[in-house]
Amino acid sequence: MSSIEELVKSAAHDMYNPALNFEIAKKYDELSQTASAVSFYLRTAEYGYESHPLLAYSALLRMSVCFDDQKDRAHTVSNCILQAISHIPNRPEGYFFLSRFHERAGQWQEAYTFAQVGLTFSKLELEPLPMNTDYHGEYVLLFEKAVSAWWIGRKDESAEIFKQLDVMDISPDYKASVQSNLARINVAV
Amino acid sequence: MNLVQRAVQYGGELAPLVISKGLTSGTGLMNPSIFIDNDGDILVNLRHVNYTLYHAENKQLFSSRWGPLSYLHPEKDLRLVTTNYLCRLDKNLKMTDYAKVDTSALDVPPIWEFVGEEDCRLVQWDNDYYLIGVRRDTTTNGEGRMELSKIEIDKANWNVKEVSRLRIPTPGDNSSYCEKNWVPILDKPYHFIKWCSPVEVVRAHPTEPKCDQVSFRQNLTPPSDQRGSSQLIRWGNMYISIHHEVILFKNYLGQKDGLYFHRLAVWDDQLNLVGLSPNKFTFLDGRVEFCVGIAEFQGDLLISFGFQDNAAFVLRTPRGVVEDMIMEALTYEFN
Repeated sequence: MSSIEELVKSAAHDMYNPALNFEIAKKYDELSQTASAVSFYLRTAEYGYESHPLLAYSALLRMSVCFDDQKDRAHTVSNCILQAISHIPNRPEGYFFLSRFHERAGQWQEAYTFAQVGLTFSKLELEPLPMNTDYHGEYVLLFEKAVSAWWIGRKDESAEIFKQLDVMDISPDYKASVQSNLARINVAV
Repeated sequence: MNLVQRAVQYGGELAPLVISKGLTSGTGLMNPSIFIDNDGDILVNLRHVNYTLYHAENKQLFSSRWGPLSYLHPEKDLRLVTTNYLCRLDKNLKMTDYAKVDTSALDVPPIWEFVGEEDCRLVQWDNDYYLIGVRRDTTTNGEGRMELSKIEIDKANWNVKEVSRLRIPTPGDNSSYCEKNWVPILDKPYHFIKWCSPVEVVRAHPTEPKCDQVSFRQNLTPPSDQRGSSQLIRWGNMYISIHHEVILFKNYLGQKDGLYFHRLAVWDDQLNLVGLSPNKFTFLDGRVEFCVGIAEFQGDLLISFGFQDNAAFVLRTPRGVVEDMIMEALTYEFN
């Protein structure tokens, strides 16, 4: 695996190359050097929006995570997600990020709405993103929908989705959250 | 061709400078100032800020909510806060030690939004180490003055402490709003190049708030204002330094933006500016880059620079490349 030093040296001849900027950004991101990562992710988006649309989309989503990690930059976090969505509106990942953003802020109607919009794209056959994001599949959108549904008065719908999630093959952390929510709302599985 | 590419293709090396996120929260590490001390240690002052510079390039399709160039500080804390880390590198330019400069003995509550000593150049004069940068937090209108910040380095335990702080007035009536980027002359203690056109050399005092003009003369005329970046160092029978120039502008929405470029300057023994890169250069083709230090090391030139205020590097530039740059600079046509 290349170091930052190797990546930047090898990119020096072509610093406007979106793919090279993306690799440098990922490396800084792995080290939690989020400001450095943001600079190279942003270059990925600006120089790759036409030639590398999925890289640009992923970079913008990842920028939102970097700013979230820096704390107290909520307007920038949401702005990055909105830019990703406007760049490629017919993918589910951006809507998941936006739904989760609002869910964490206690903005339940927004969280519910964007989860629902994301679900309209979650069954499409799409090219995978070039990096892992927190979007693991349709179930993460269902989870956001279930959580937010509860808080906007749709408790039956919420319970129904949680029960559905409980029998799905999902990651252990989501499984634990689903069961914890089911227990909290007193639904027998 | 950017300078990193040029240096690397002739055998140069590039070293990123990174400090644990646990100390920095991941925000910008920038504008490093390299210096080799009397012990032969390669030292770097590395500036850490509480913000992330957001700078959209190219067609600027993905600007921040506040425009293409924004300092993204915490939304509930409008201050732009600088702290400094003193680092030691080994001969392969790997960081072996780092410590936050402890300024607590001399700190007073800041009264402006730019907090801390910014873009410090590291020097050693009369066996004392100094960080020399601009501070703007001592008046309610952000007046900037260069400060001589004397530090003590405990190399055994790698602790660094500021032990005195002196705000340098300008020569004359001291009425200017902001003084920054004075160029310390390494082999002339307390001397600085204050301006490049005309060349103004000034001398500060190590223990008193005094500053005198030493010389003021017109040499070659640069194509644009050359602002200080690195220290001025001896290179053979001449001096060299790196300077920056800035193009500030606004987009159609009136939002600010800027471009930074650099040039190599060549000076004679009397500190006449005798050469300047005819072509401005970048380090990595970034629109905002900033060099704050150079040092000769084993015949090569170490150049420390920041990239977009968010990343820091040291570039080992082979001597041959530097000599070519000097020759190019000496071809600069006088006006």
